[in-house]
Amino acid sequence: MSLELAIRLTEVLMGFSFIQQSIEHLTLFTHERRLFLIRIILSLLLIIGFQTAWTLLLLLLLSLAILHRFQGPYNGGADRMSLLILSCLTLVHFAPSLRWQEVAFGYLVIQLILSYFISGWVKVINPDWRNGQALRDVFQFSAYPVSESLRQWSKSPRLLLSMSWGVILFELLFPFSLLSSTSLTFALVITASFHFSNACLFGLNHFFWIWITAYPSILWFQQRIFESLN
Amino acid sequence: MNFINSIKLLLPALIPSWNFFDVIASSPRIQFSLLKSENTPIQEWHEFRPRPMHLSFIQMLKRMLWNPGWNESLFLVSCAERIMGDSTQQLIQHSENEILKRIKKDLLQTESEFNVSDITYLQFRLIFVHRQGTELQKEVTFISRIQPLSMDNDYES
Repeated sequence: MSLELAIRLTEVLMGFSFIQQSIEHLTLFTHERRLFLIRIILSLLLIIGFQTAWTLLLLLLLSLAILHRFQGPYNGGADRMSLLILSCLTLVHFAPSLRWQEVAFGYLVIQLILSYFISGWVKVINPDWRNGQALRDVFQFSAYPVSESLRQWSKSPRLLLSMSWGVILFELLFPFSLLSSTSLTFALVITASFHFSNACLFGLNHFFWIWITAYPSILWFQQRIFESLN
Repeated sequence: MNFINSIKLLLPALIPSWNFFDVIASSPRIQFSLLKSENTPIQEWHEFRPRPMHLSFIQMLKRMLWNPGWNESLFLVSCAERIMGDSTQQLIQHSENEILKRIKKDLLQTESEFNVSDITYLQFRLIFVHRQGTELQKEVTFISRIQPLSMDNDYES
């Protein structure tokens, strides 16, 4: 995938993802509605490719206002990934040369890889994750399960132990998927399924859409690395 | 807008830690009470937005695109954690206001099971649930100020 195509795809996916996040705020408070209505308009401009660099810059400034409004991210990690992608894309458009564009877009890829690897690392060094207790706690008393019936999963320790190790292993092994385009495609299907499960079980729908937004960047990166090696 | 403060809030996004679910910490629950006057003793605490008993797969799929209530509830979890975390007084105040405002909105705007016509005040408390050995422990960690439940300009803020 060319750099140009990967950047454009990321812009369009981010535009749709921002619209999905923002529409949810239109049911809430007046001041929030104003902020997110502007975000929807700017996201539409981004999708159609109107003055992309300036649209991205305005979206970034608006994001600062939204951060200020909520005194931090509204939805934790999903908002942080949104800001990271937006910042990298803005830097890409204001970068002075192709090399610096690659550096800015590459930074997004490095963070995407780390988002899986570090998540796996912090789990594997925790005995509660290794013996399945942490996931039992998630289902038993954390704020995340979307229904009371899902809390019953905490009574299936073998299932949760398998799930814990499944998550730990795929997160830790994710960087190795860059070895070939086939393995990367396979890994991205697995990770997308993981985010989809989290969206269904824990209501983390924003995570699903925004992480997928970063996938074109890693597809470009994998190809770029192998081109430079050959 | 405090621009420097916003830049400080942006930094964790530019250099993220990515330590999702590294430890399963105590989990907050929000309960509220409705009062007829500031001096009325609290009769009963109600759980704010109790989760449904069951969600079908179709409902889960719909929530992939439209999930405002749940995402707002997750924001309130963050607010509760900020209140009990190592936060500044300003951030604690902001979080308390956000929780009070959203409980009020639910009570006044939606078809609530509570008859709020003769209720004039609202208060909430935070209960943190954690596991000690094999048992779950619940601890009341914060009780909010008493807030008038009038339909005022809160919807503008």
